[in-house]
Amino acid sequence: MGETARHYYLRKHNLAKAYINGTGCISPQNSIDSDWFFDEVHSPKGDYFEAIEPSYKDFIAPNLLRRMGRAIKMGVAAGNIAIQQAGVKNVDAIVTGTGLGCFEDSERFLLAILDNDEQFLTPTSFIQSTHNTVGSQIALIMKCHDYNFTYVHRGFSFESTVQDALMLFDEGKDTILVGGIEEHTPNYILLNRKANKFQVREPDMPIWMSEKRGIQMSEGAAFFVLSRNKTQSSLACINGIQTLYKPKNSEDILKKLHMFLSSHRLTLSDMDVALMGFSGDLIFDEKLKSLLPEIEKETTAGAFKNVCGEYHTATAFAMWTATKIIERQQLPKVLAISAKLPSKIKYVLIINQYLDINYSFTLVSQC
Amino acid sequence: MDALIEKLKGQIIEQLNLAEVKPEEINPDSPLFGEGLGLDSIDALELIVLLEKHYGIKIQDPKDGKTIFQSLRTMAEYIKSQGKS
Repeated sequence: MGETARHYYLRKHNLAKAYINGTGCISPQNSIDSDWFFDEVHSPKGDYFEAIEPSYKDFIAPNLLRRMGRAIKMGVAAGNIAIQQAGVKNVDAIVTGTGLGCFEDSERFLLAILDNDEQFLTPTSFIQSTHNTVGSQIALIMKCHDYNFTYVHRGFSFESTVQDALMLFDEGKDTILVGGIEEHTPNYILLNRKANKFQVREPDMPIWMSEKRGIQMSEGAAFFVLSRNKTQSSLACINGIQTLYKPKNSEDILKKLHMFLSSHRLTLSDMDVALMGFSGDLIFDEKLKSLLPEIEKETTAGAFKNVCGEYHTATAFAMWTATKIIERQQLPKVLAISAKLPSKIKYVLIINQYLDINYSFTLVSQC
Repeated sequence: MDALIEKLKGQIIEQLNLAEVKPEEINPDSPLFGEGLGLDSIDALELIVLLEKHYGIKIQDPKDGKTIFQSLRTMAEYIKSQGKS
């Protein structure tokens, strides 16, 4: 189903909520540790934020591990943690999203073509290079023979997985694993650096006030076990999600945001926290900067890319953060843009932008 | 023959990314598939490419693979028999 058709479907059918029963997150922070809550925050090394990876032997069998690239390892490990937390043995669907897919294996396969003059090509890196490898590896490990889909929609990749999950619940599925995965390789970083796509941020300059060009590219994987019905282990709830392609200006975003919230019978003033996807790039953040005063009039604004960096599926990290904020009933100071912190947190709104092209609203609440 | 077996051990470890396996742990007479190293069908394709890339040997009949890749020693013997060691 295309983007427009999915929008139409989601608007026409007032879809049910999705309850988050388990989460797993690998990021440039220590998010792999379920007790970590922004108490110790790592800074990027220069212009690039590298994911902190766990010992994968704890999550993946050695005979499988030897063939996996980093994206697959991160995805399988994060998925595994989410499933364990949710306490489920299997799921009815696995839906993953990735902007670049298994980049390391794609590069390895293409380099082998060049280095060996299109000969002696081995199957492993080709098999592992396809974007849907993460979802399929999880399915193989779990022996899940049900629905398995991967969205490769640039800055909407993760959002598409959540939209699909909401529609699948509408069709009768009960438990769904969704996740966003991104990895980068030294070559990709080098090329982007040469193209001046990165910036080294000044430590004292808040990301939402940056006046420089360039982002801090990053990577990671965040997975969620979603269920149609509330369970004892439900941590938070996804009320809705909406994507917005190339909005004209901040007024356009605000108008769509009001419409999105009113479709849930809510207003901006009902939001306790609004996590905004400031990337640190002067141009890409321009519309969010204009939007910020309007947001701050009604609620507490926060950021998240100052701790996770920028990547296609950064919304997955934001959703993990929103779940944690609701669980802990606290907005960590490192994320706060507004001076006044909320005393209770029922609704967390994520307003993301990717390269000023892909915008999205995700509404997460207490359940 | 022993030198070829040692060389093959290193090449197999590298090609199949057997980072956990040390050359001395590979018994040249143990089966490569199922038991022993526990390789699978994807590894078989990797080994076919290894023979072609490093020794210039093309396995014409896939049925021969079962005999050739029985163990490290049978692989080495096959390479010798092709005069490519």
